[in-house]
Amino acid sequence: MKSRLYSWEGLLLVTFLIIFAFNTITQPQFLTVSNQINMFQLSIEKLIVVLVMAFIIINAEIDLSVGSMMGLSACAFGWSFQHGLDPALAIVLCLAIGAAGGALNGFFVAYMGLPSLVVTLATLIGFRGLARVMVEDRGITNFPDWFDAIGQQGFIGPVPFALVCFVIMFAVAWIVLEHSGFGRKTYVIGSNRHVADFAGIHVRRHKLIIFTLAGVVSAFAGLLYAARVGAVRGDVANGFELDIITIVLLGGASIFGGSGTLVGTGLAILIVLNLRNGMSLHNVTGHLQTGVIGILLIASVLGPRLQWPRRLGAARQR
Amino acid sequence: MTQPTLALRSVSKSFGMTAALTDMTLELHPGEVHAIVGENGAGKSTMIKIMTGIYQPDTGGVEIDGTPVLLQGSKAARLRGVAAVYQEPMVFPDLDVTENIFISATGSLWLNKSAMRRAAIDLIAKIGMRLDVDRMASGLTLAEQQAVEIARALSQNVRVLIMDEPTASLSAHEAAELRRVARALADQGVAVVYISHRLEEIFQLADRVSVIRDGRHISTRLVTATTPQLMISEMVGRDVGNYFSKMQSTATQDVLLSVRNLGLAGIFEGIAFDLHRGEVFCMAGLIGARRTDVALAIFGITPANAGTIRYKGKHLHAKSPSDAMAAGIAYVCEDRRKLGLAMELPIRWNITLATLSRYLSRLGLVNTQAERHTAADFRKRLNIRTPDAEIPVGKLSGGNQQKVMLSKWLNMNPDLLIVDEPTRGIDIGAKAEVHDLIRQFAAQGGAVLVISSDLPEVLALGDRILVMREGIQMAILDHADASQERIMALATGQEKAA
Repeated sequence: MKSRLYSWEGLLLVTFLIIFAFNTITQPQFLTVSNQINMFQLSIEKLIVVLVMAFIIINAEIDLSVGSMMGLSACAFGWSFQHGLDPALAIVLCLAIGAAGGALNGFFVAYMGLPSLVVTLATLIGFRGLARVMVEDRGITNFPDWFDAIGQQGFIGPVPFALVCFVIMFAVAWIVLEHSGFGRKTYVIGSNRHVADFAGIHVRRHKLIIFTLAGVVSAFAGLLYAARVGAVRGDVANGFELDIITIVLLGGASIFGGSGTLVGTGLAILIVLNLRNGMSLHNVTGHLQTGVIGILLIASVLGPRLQWPRRLGAARQR
Repeated sequence: MTQPTLALRSVSKSFGMTAALTDMTLELHPGEVHAIVGENGAGKSTMIKIMTGIYQPDTGGVEIDGTPVLLQGSKAARLRGVAAVYQEPMVFPDLDVTENIFISATGSLWLNKSAMRRAAIDLIAKIGMRLDVDRMASGLTLAEQQAVEIARALSQNVRVLIMDEPTASLSAHEAAELRRVARALADQGVAVVYISHRLEEIFQLADRVSVIRDGRHISTRLVTATTPQLMISEMVGRDVGNYFSKMQSTATQDVLLSVRNLGLAGIFEGIAFDLHRGEVFCMAGLIGARRTDVALAIFGITPANAGTIRYKGKHLHAKSPSDAMAAGIAYVCEDRRKLGLAMELPIRWNITLATLSRYLSRLGLVNTQAERHTAADFRKRLNIRTPDAEIPVGKLSGGNQQKVMLSKWLNMNPDLLIVDEPTRGIDIGAKAEVHDLIRQFAAQGGAVLVISSDLPEVLALGDRILVMREGIQMAILDHADASQERIMALATGQEKAA
């Protein structure tokens, strides 16, 4: 029991509770249903991608192209809509683009043996380029009402569709990562891919699946974004990959792979959201908010490596 | 008696509830080779870490030249002349030998490369090695890398050199070379601490030998005043029989694996042997004999491109480990750290890794209950010493890690078990246990292919022994015809292939 309290997740939980308590006490409108939903809704697309990013990072890879894929998917939807394609068909098309783009990353990483940092940096530029070519520098709006409604109205009571999706996906991701054979293989490959190879695990296929999944989920998140905002432009979701990776690392996943939990990731999500929301309610500017989140990340990456909280260091260092 | 260069005085060290060292006293004198023996987990590594300043003792202290010192960190220890060389040397592959030797000087602003090069040549000569100082470290053999480490220690005026199982991964010839280096250093007044599981080399090299067990000092004797039997019984705390006696063969006439003219371009060629059920078949040879490559070909990691493999009477061409595993072949590799175990993951996960599909429900979820059962079963059967099966396997001693690796593959219930250097770097008690397991496996009708550089082990285990040299099969010896001398003659090419 003691080790659990001293674990990284334990520290995240305490941090979250402090921020939550502070927000509740200082801001009466914090603990209202509408504010809580709003808090999630504002970054819901990122949160959905965080879930697959956790798999990627635990697998000892990185995917920098997720933000661009979100943009590409949103723009492909806008372009298809403008060219008279049935919106339902356009959604399928976008998800297919996500799968193809993710598989492309996976193919180069798993079968060509290139570093994922390099491959996904290239596709970050490539996907974004495609998105910009599609819509050039105009915005596309006036989507069908039902599409906008998905992003802007309550789906179950006041809870929007995207948040319902997130909750379901979180549960699925948790079961898969921590209780399934697929999740087990994700950890083992991330910890030492040669050991996995020698144990007869199909390492390449596994990586291909994870990258493809990241592409599909990013495309889906891009569509949700288009629906919520009701418009797309070439720079949709620009730079989102950094926020997404930040949350996964804060959640305790090692950038070298093999460690991290979805519980930690979930707590990191709550911390970042509550911190940002609390600061907004206190009228702290966006730039300063970004600065604070940045400091948090530095602390989360460096803290465990310093001598001082030894047990935390032992818990996180590989 | 002279003043000890370094002494431990009643040192105790605990980690949480476990006492790693209790009241440990040890004196190292200039000019002696002081061997330290003990089972894995006896506290040898903790002791080294205290001598090299990585750990600080809880009680008691370290003295250098009779003065109590506080060694805070390995740099402080190095400044006082204490250095260690490990089984797996620390070299930087992209630097040359000179730069590796003077690695701690590369931080300074001004480097006099030619002076460094001359000094490096001197140091290499001082330890009596022949080694080109301009070579890149990436191309060095393990023995040469260790020489570089020793030269590095010498460049920092080493007075106490700790060698932690330096010969565990070396061929017999290289090991002899390294022992010569150790002796030469001692003759120059360095106190050499020599940790090894190979008892025969302790008798060749050491002046004194200390036995430790369960974190306590048991004895320190002159080598001339002890025997292997006495040392072993002190190490394990009980009387033991002869560990390396050959056990009864259980070989049958039933051919399980039949290899003909197997080859892989540029690596090995013309390998041909039959392996019977119930048989323990050994492959002996020096490092670089390409024995592991033959095993990797059979297991499907790097498939052969010439010859045939018949297995259970059928043609087998494994293109990946999963093909070989499906046929019932298990391969326990030699490199636990790089290829064998996911060190930071739990013991339980490692044990079920090769058989994970058996523990999955129809929805693909892991049945942890069944996994725990398996882990507990192997923990008991193989006597894996650990508080529980949920801790990272990297926290176990080498011998226990080896048992976890064996568990992983035995759980597959293979017909053919290939084990590569099964007892490298593990203590004599664990060695005997591993040998028993291999014998038991064969007695139950399995076939075992053992690759080993440890000649006493080859002679103790092998019903037949295939000797390889530089990718060529030199001979297959029956146990009755085999001796250490004969194997070495074949492995070094002094006796020609039949």
